[in-house]
Amino acid sequence: MTNDFNQILDECIDRITRGETVEACLSDYPEHANRLKPLLTAMAQTKASYAFTPSINNKRAARQRFYTAVEKSRQPSFWNRLFTRPVVWAALTAVLVVMIVGYVALRPTIFPVKLPSVTVTEASSEGNFVFLVTDAVNAITDFSNLDISVDKVSLLQTDTSNQWVEFTPATSQFDLTLLPGGKTQELWQGNIPEGNYSEAAIYVSKVQGTLKANGATIEIKVPGNKLELVQPFQVSSNNTTSFTYDLTVVKAGNAQGGGKYLLKPQVTQSRTSLTP
Amino acid sequence: MGIKEIQTDRDKLVSLYDEYYDKIANYIYSRIGNKTEAEDLASEVFLKALEAIKTYDERGLPMQAWLFKIAHNVVVDHLRKITKYKTISIDKVEIRSEDDPQKTAEINIEMERVMAAMQQLTDEQQEVIRLHFLAGLSSLEVSALLKKTMERYGKCNMLLLRSYGDCLVETCPGN
Repeated sequence: MTNDFNQILDECIDRITRGETVEACLSDYPEHANRLKPLLTAMAQTKASYAFTPSINNKRAARQRFYTAVEKSRQPSFWNRLFTRPVVWAALTAVLVVMIVGYVALRPTIFPVKLPSVTVTEASSEGNFVFLVTDAVNAITDFSNLDISVDKVSLLQTDTSNQWVEFTPATSQFDLTLLPGGKTQELWQGNIPEGNYSEAAIYVSKVQGTLKANGATIEIKVPGNKLELVQPFQVSSNNTTSFTYDLTVVKAGNAQGGGKYLLKPQVTQSRTSLTP
Repeated sequence: MGIKEIQTDRDKLVSLYDEYYDKIANYIYSRIGNKTEAEDLASEVFLKALEAIKTYDERGLPMQAWLFKIAHNVVVDHLRKITKYKTISIDKVEIRSEDDPQKTAEINIEMERVMAAMQQLTDEQQEVIRLHFLAGLSSLEVSALLKKTMERYGKCNMLLLRSYGDCLVETCPGN
């Protein structure tokens, strides 16, 4: 009974809200009219006392503001418009590909991999490896002497795992002007691990020479104090491998007029030979 | 929420504008007692709803009820801005200027009785009266807005109405 009355009351409230009269509701439920009447009358009174109709002008202005905002919200944003264009996606994809390729290509330079190294401490006249230097004639004739000091030689072994094999030359200083025309100077002989090698680097601490022209002493700077040469060679225990590292001095500009000399490895002249 | 759903909800909001602008203005008027401000705030409610349409979820609340939730928040913000009063003195309630003095006096008396009766109720009960009677929300919408089941809501509604009706007609102070 109570539940029925609740539902009827609720229905009547909704009907009055929709615009029907209290009397219409009461006539539909005469058996509940006595209880419904005061409640629905209270509702109607409350509704009547607060009801007002917004002014037409204000409502029109408000509607105009609302519709303007709706139109604005329907327009895609700058970013939406931008990213719906195929050409933008194509450009972004191209940039991304270039970045990935560039990263892969430059990664060894930007983030060089530090390889392990082993140092060979003992020189031996019967060792399986001889390291020599020579001079390829370029601007060496400008010098009466050119002394080169070498701290260390590194050889890159590239077998199952890469590593640097390093040794300190027994002869750490030599005059390059004394090594023209295929003459060589042995810097070190000793035993190094057997295997395949791909690169040789010499660490130069000082290069100083005297110019024939005016007797001036000049110092040649080596970037990073390191001269690298890519030259594959093999070392075995049965043979002696002689590696001749060809150095050359070249003139950049006019040395007397502010130009300078450069010390460089000469790839084409460097060589290895095997002696049983 | 996908772009299509947002567009659908936005279209629905537009379709509700004309019907619900008046209801919301009435509801706000019952809370702040100023018609011009009620109209401005009703307009603000729809603009806020438009801004928040991406967050609207129909499964949670019918859009009509959702609008009144926004309206409630707008009124709370408004009242917080202008003053800390929660009840409105009858002297401050704006009466239509075009009404004749006798009618104005009658409305004044009626509103005084209504307000006296309302003040016997809790805040939530007052909100039910406003949403149901003044804003014209259906029982379903009011129950959804107040997160009550229909059965429980019906019971509360009857008790509330009975006490409110009794108060309004007979026994409240000021009547």
